[in-house]
Amino acid sequence: MEDRKDHLWKVAQEAEERIDDLMKAGANPMGVDVGTSKVVAARRKAKEIDSLSELNAFIPVPYAKVTETILTQNQIAYYREGDELIVYGTATERFANMFNAELRRPMADGLLNPREKRAMPVLEAIVNNLVPKPKAQGETLAFSVPAAIAGREAALTYHEATLRGLFQGMGYRPVAINEGLAVVFAELEDNNFTGIGVSCGGGMCNATLAFLSIPAIMVGIAKGGDYIDTAVGAVINEHATRVKVMKEDGVDLSRQPSDKFGRAIRIYYEELVETVVDGIHKAISAAERLPRADRALPIVLSGGTAKPKGFKDLFEKALRARAMPFEIAEIRMAKDPLTATARGALIAAMYEK
Amino acid sequence: MKARAPAASARQRGFEFTHALESVSRGIADPAAKLKFIRGSLEKFHGADRAVSLLPLPGVRRFLYRWLSLEGIQPLLTGKGLGGSEPEARGVRHSLLVARAVLAGMTLVTLVAVTGAARQLARPAVVQPAQAGGTLPAVAEALPPLPAGVTPGAIWLVERGNGFEQLSNGLRIETAWSVQGDPRLYHVFDAEAGLVNEVHDRPAGLLFHTTESDIWPLEAGYNEKLRDSSERLLKYLQRNRTYHYLIDRFGRVFRVVEEASKANHAGHSVWESGGTVYLNLNHAFLGVSFESRWGGGQTLPITQAQLVAGRNLTDYLRQRFEIPAGMCVAHGLTSVNPKQHRIGHHMDWSRGFPWAAFGLPDQYAREAPSVALFGFGYDQDFLKVLPEPWDGVRAAEERLAEAARREGRSLEDVRRERQRTYDRWTAEQAQADRKGGEKVDRASVVRPQGAASGG
Repeated sequence: MEDRKDHLWKVAQEAEERIDDLMKAGANPMGVDVGTSKVVAARRKAKEIDSLSELNAFIPVPYAKVTETILTQNQIAYYREGDELIVYGTATERFANMFNAELRRPMADGLLNPREKRAMPVLEAIVNNLVPKPKAQGETLAFSVPAAIAGREAALTYHEATLRGLFQGMGYRPVAINEGLAVVFAELEDNNFTGIGVSCGGGMCNATLAFLSIPAIMVGIAKGGDYIDTAVGAVINEHATRVKVMKEDGVDLSRQPSDKFGRAIRIYYEELVETVVDGIHKAISAAERLPRADRALPIVLSGGTAKPKGFKDLFEKALRARAMPFEIAEIRMAKDPLTATARGALIAAMYEK
Repeated sequence: MKARAPAASARQRGFEFTHALESVSRGIADPAAKLKFIRGSLEKFHGADRAVSLLPLPGVRRFLYRWLSLEGIQPLLTGKGLGGSEPEARGVRHSLLVARAVLAGMTLVTLVAVTGAARQLARPAVVQPAQAGGTLPAVAEALPPLPAGVTPGAIWLVERGNGFEQLSNGLRIETAWSVQGDPRLYHVFDAEAGLVNEVHDRPAGLLFHTTESDIWPLEAGYNEKLRDSSERLLKYLQRNRTYHYLIDRFGRVFRVVEEASKANHAGHSVWESGGTVYLNLNHAFLGVSFESRWGGGQTLPITQAQLVAGRNLTDYLRQRFEIPAGMCVAHGLTSVNPKQHRIGHHMDWSRGFPWAAFGLPDQYAREAPSVALFGFGYDQDFLKVLPEPWDGVRAAEERLAEAARREGRSLEDVRRERQRTYDRWTAEQAQADRKGGEKVDRASVVRPQGAASGG
């Protein structure tokens, strides 16, 4: 074996040089996390990674000159469609909350929303706000896609192909990356991209077990933050949008809840975590061929739904209750849970360059 | 030659491949570069995997997987690239079935040929150098020192011709491959006071490497392979500005990167001499590489011609740049993994360099600066390659332990503190080099009076 170890170093050096070349050439690959709740774009700026995000939502308001003026003055993203102004992006939530209306989403359950006729125009507008035109034709852009869920493979194919077309139309060379794998790329570099990346977003939770960057198991669960918002909203008689705002004001799952909202949130979070962990456990147990892991594997949690304090502990408790075929080294939160997928996609774009 | 340990099982070798790959990739700082490296390395195995998968007989396929060490890592080779949907996968599967059907009629001869090709793809063509006629000693370290007085008092340029330079000590440098690299500009550290705010542009030391390339038997029958191998190597080195000098198996000395430029040969590395600390030695050290490689726990034997050429080149460079003997060192003794704070990231010449034959002090006995100054350690992967660290590592560890005792602290505490110093210094160096690279006041470059310029 010792023969091989040293033989590899030349390749390592060459790989580093290729990255240097890539940066010198003025190339500018992009990573985009196209999530149900948010679209996040990441790109490399010098040695740092720069990220921007927009809420993946919109709300139509009747056209009036005065409304349009207010939107323009407040630099709120919108476009006009007939006698309506379509307000989209991050400002939407404020509008929906103000008017006590439900915001609408171009995506649902991790995929393009088939019931939303404005899905593509709005998503295109949001993407255009975040992703600049490439400096050179054919620049690589990696975008996230969820893992396939049984029975929804066709919808995933349509979703991926549509996004591919959108980015291609902007002049990029798009490549799709599994969401969980993107988390592995972003967060498990020190483990040589070996471990489990979990992303809990608005529409879905995704988990990927990767060995040396190669995805071995990809799990998709059609439950996420939106499910919690809707379920809690039904219990406390509030719009899901309102629940989302309340949730983001600060939920602490590590404490005993003191009111109805807190109790409902905890109940549905526990259910979500159980479903996700169960999905991972079943997928791994059912796998016929897995590379042998000779050491404990780390798990990284990311995504907006995983952000509340105490989420990690819930996850750990659910996981420890199940016998896994390998040892778990640690369970930790991503450095920045909201941008992990986009950062991982950027690494994939740089790799694909 | 030392007896080799019993061969590991093929399954175990596949497993060890991933270990080795990981231990190397841990030192790559850039995540995208690391991803490229890991996937690139797996791709090499993938070639063999593809060839084997075409075979029509499941039993034979299984046997070959085991034989080629693919069994342990096979699931890694067939995984989806980035996990996106791959519409072409069905087509590939179909092609595979058709190919298998066609191949079902092939003869045993074809099977043997494919097997051979697969083996070739899986492993570099490493052949132990020939022992023909008993002219080659078993290991380089056993080479006898050259007789005293072989080096003239001064070495001068006798003649510069088209594609060569002839020196007075018999050294002939082939210059046709020579290219310019980035300018050499670097900072050093005072072991006590830290960063010295001066920019240097002259080489301060020599770093000996091995090329880690394919090694063919030194026999007339392999002449074409030997020449072809060196030429491909030169192209690679030139493209990547990898070393200043290459010494091939016939003892020919090629200048690859001009002496006035830095070359990409040292990576993350540490050396110290006379209280001056050098970090990341690409700029400060000239890289001299012998066409050889690490194998079986030691550097494979270099040839007598390489030894003579290496000594002549060392004498010439030492005289030209006034390099003290203590600044001539092997890459393996300096190379570190900065993230893990471990020594031995690269292992070339970490055993078996013929110091005495080069008229140099035994650097293996010298206290390892990375350990003594910066508290670096080593792991199981290191011990797999080199079961016993060189003496200088032990000496440095004793020095660390002594410091801990003297200060009434734990050894780990002292190590951690020194590792933090290393982290801080490398950051300061990077910052200083960036500033230096942006705007260098030539008048501020430190250069000894009357020193010759490089080139």
